[in-house]
Amino acid sequence: MSAVRKVAIVAGATTPFGVRPTTWSEMAQEVGAALFRAEPELRSEDVDSLFVGAAEPERFAFQTHVAPLAAEQMGLAPHRIIQRTELACASGQSAIRSAYAAIAAGLSDVAVAVGIEKMNLPSMAEANTAMGCVMDRAWDGPHGATAPPFFAMVAQRHMLEYGTTEEQMAAVSAKNHRFANTNPHAQFYSKTFDTAKLARLPMVAPPLRLGDCSSMTDGAAAVVLAAEDHVSRYTDAPAWIRGSGQYSDFHNLAHAGSLTDWKGLTRATHEALASAKLTIHDIDVAELHDCFSISEIVEYEAMGWCPPGAGGKFALDGRSDIGGDVVVNPRGGLLGCGHPLGATGIAQAVEIFQQLSHDVPPARQAPDPRYGLVHNLSGSANVHSIMIYEGGGAG
Amino acid sequence: MSASTKMPRSSAPKPRPRELPQTDGRESGKATSPPEKTRRAASTPFLLDFVPLQAPDQTRLAQFYERLKEGHLSTTRCRNCGAIHWPPRVACPDCHAEDLEWIDLPSTGRIYAFSAVLAGAPLGMESEVPFAVGLVDLEGAPLRVFGRIDGRPWNELKIGDTVRVESLTLPDGRVFYRFHTPE
Ligand SMILES: [Zn+2]
Repeated sequence: MSAVRKVAIVAGATTPFGVRPTTWSEMAQEVGAALFRAEPELRSEDVDSLFVGAAEPERFAFQTHVAPLAAEQMGLAPHRIIQRTELACASGQSAIRSAYAAIAAGLSDVAVAVGIEKMNLPSMAEANTAMGCVMDRAWDGPHGATAPPFFAMVAQRHMLEYGTTEEQMAAVSAKNHRFANTNPHAQFYSKTFDTAKLARLPMVAPPLRLGDCSSMTDGAAAVVLAAEDHVSRYTDAPAWIRGSGQYSDFHNLAHAGSLTDWKGLTRATHEALASAKLTIHDIDVAELHDCFSISEIVEYEAMGWCPPGAGGKFALDGRSDIGGDVVVNPRGGLLGCGHPLGATGIAQAVEIFQQLSHDVPPARQAPDPRYGLVHNLSGSANVHSIMIYEGGGAG
Repeated sequence: MSASTKMPRSSAPKPRPRELPQTDGRESGKATSPPEKTRRAASTPFLLDFVPLQAPDQTRLAQFYERLKEGHLSTTRCRNCGAIHWPPRVACPDCHAEDLEWIDLPSTGRIYAFSAVLAGAPLGMESEVPFAVGLVDLEGAPLRVFGRIDGRPWNELKIGDTVRVESLTLPDGRVFYRFHTPE
């Protein structure tokens, strides 16, 4: 591509994630306040466009037309592009991608991408029904399909085909929970889980135990994206968008094909790396979509950090930890932070922005990272979405 | 997918219709009685009920449900390119033709992968927990189908086990399919 403008993340903020005594709109206010606090140079009138990542406000908050609502709650008055982006679990990254496209094309100069999700309801069954809507409601929904049984089948096949173990899956969860203990905004900030404790938690969808599954979480996150000639007004440590890739593989569960070979993720990774002119081994820090422990294992393989079948050992050997090949999910991952659908992809981008500018606690800082990657999957690994960032003055 | 794949209706043993377990839809584990069945059918709002609307004035796939009521799992085949679809469709995704015909599918298959819902069931399904679900390769058809697996408990299932298609009838007359382990 040529003649597109360079775009960077110049500021970011998140609310606490968890089972929160607050509403969708209140979290919009809260994340707006946090964003303006995080970037004192930011003025409301700077923000010409707003992209709102929200997966299911209709179901969880009985609210649609959320983009103008979020603008009002956040104290913004965008005048170029204002819209919601919905891509289930990747709705947040979808907001960033849309802002990126708008700025690169010259339709926006400074945009906010915000993700907000309120998931905890008085009735958990009602919340689980909302999660079921992510599937093909007419054909998968009536059987009671939600994410856990699908990813459990992925784990079952991975164990059968490659000998992956519960211990290896627990190693992913233990790592991400340990990182979450460094993140005061993580849902499980103050709870410790080692592999022994994880092995004693109840099964949710065999072979997945409670600690293999991310939670129903309330939370919000926001970033400011700016065109190259607007970046220096806000920061000298931006996270430049270097590449992106996306692939939509299937939707109905019957079309998942091999449950263990995520070809769509491999394609999206190649697309993103090619657009950034990098290889996977150039990536220093990665936020991968660990909605389930097995997801992170399959992602190491499909994205090229290790051969098919070696993902469990990759985790157990610490190769995705600090001191390994790549630092994966230093924020605490979805397993440790919780997974407020629309907010997750934005919170991951905030982490990469802060990692690249050495603005995280030392216990989770990747050593001198230059390149960071964010991956989201959505639904039952239907779509894979990837963005690659570069730190420093590389613009 | 092959245009020559033929599955005449007579080749498949007829699955037996069975009634869905009765649930109140909101109160887990509550015992149900006949008057509550009708109340549930009347009061579950459409937008919280996954079982699709099935009448000819509601869906162009009404014939799928009509055939299911007779005990047959069926789908569409493209008259233009021969592709066999699952789930059934109104337009072919391969050649985009809209000239499709109905064919019956085999009533047995083998489990490719399975798990179980031990917690976190949607509305109306809480009292059915624990229940097994799985991906099933239909016997003699190039199709894999996802569905509930009734019968033996989940911890007695194995990959490769044979299951058969069953038609279940809701109190309001709608139907849906499930799989069932052999007795
Ligand atoms: Zn066709």
